[in-house]
Amino acid sequence: MNERLKKELESTFKDILVADSGDNCATVTIKYSQALAVLRFLKDKGFDHLALLSAVDWIEEKEHELVYILTRYIQNIDEYRDESKLHLIVKTRIPRDEPQFQTITGIFPIAEPYEREIHELFGIKFEGHKRLTPLFLERGYKIPPFRKDFDTRKYVEEVFDKIPFAENKDK
Amino acid sequence: MDRNQITKWFKAPAKMANKYSLHAIYFCTGCGIIEVPPVITSRWDAERFGVIPVATPRQANLFLITGYVSVKTLRAIIRTYEQMYEPKYTVGFGSCPVNGGMYWDSYNTIKHLDKYIPIDGWIAGCMPRPEAIFIAVTHLWTLIDKGMANGYIRYRENYKSYRRNQEMALGKLEWPPLYPIDSNFEEARRE
Repeated sequence: MNERLKKELESTFKDILVADSGDNCATVTIKYSQALAVLRFLKDKGFDHLALLSAVDWIEEKEHELVYILTRYIQNIDEYRDESKLHLIVKTRIPRDEPQFQTITGIFPIAEPYEREIHELFGIKFEGHKRLTPLFLERGYKIPPFRKDFDTRKYVEEVFDKIPFAENKDK
Repeated sequence: MDRNQITKWFKAPAKMANKYSLHAIYFCTGCGIIEVPPVITSRWDAERFGVIPVATPRQANLFLITGYVSVKTLRAIIRTYEQMYEPKYTVGFGSCPVNGGMYWDSYNTIKHLDKYIPIDGWIAGCMPRPEAIFIAVTHLWTLIDKGMANGYIRYRENYKSYRRNQEMALGKLEWPPLYPIDSNFEEARRE
């Protein structure tokens, strides 16, 4: 972990937790009100590649966690150093009852399909996203299927197992 | 050519020609398609068995469903199957089309593919070896000889219940029925 970057982050933002998690990864935990500012700050520091945007459902804590993984693009092989391998994992938590967050498509345009996917599978709404339409799923689901309270086994029993065989097999 | 098959050629030349030139539609569902490139290329040259991949369903008469079928893929499978010319044969490849396989409790994977389209044969396993495709093809020859590979006939006969199952899984289908469905069926569907 780059000590200078850690100091800069800690001096710029309040309530930020920067921890080295080994294997060239560092975790940045931040409150959701500041998450966009942190992402913009990191992009200016050279972390211009959003490798992944994902979500975690913490049902017991009644929170959704959004995970942004940022790395650098290396334009020139001469600039390559050990520290340019660093992956920053930015984590922020939002309340689970009304899951809503701002879109980061203004900062990282590549986040558009990721946000559509999370909207579809977790039901998190992204304000300002221009195309929050269904992406993968064909069927409608009452509870978004990647949430912990979605019972897949019960759903399969109710939907796919209820469909009868088309032909009488005894014939 | 096998000499004891000459009588078969004279009896039913069209059937024999169909049998030895199975054109497989190159349709990729799920992970099983990874077995097909080695099968059609030089190592397990599938053309020894008369099987070659073709680009469009209009040229094909063998449909290999390779791997798990999600709800979205099912729509494409039905459309492709209905575009193929008769006689057409379907083979489910891998354990997922049989009964869901490891996706048996998935929210978006179709279990029991034979509820939606007729299947002539199954290749079990996860993954089946490329040799299993050839065993399936030789079995299919026997079935065609005996007239037991009759999936397309069963589809025509039971089209009502197949269409009902398809609509139960996919909602309203945007294409018209392939075969005529009587008016009683329409009313039953609305209820």
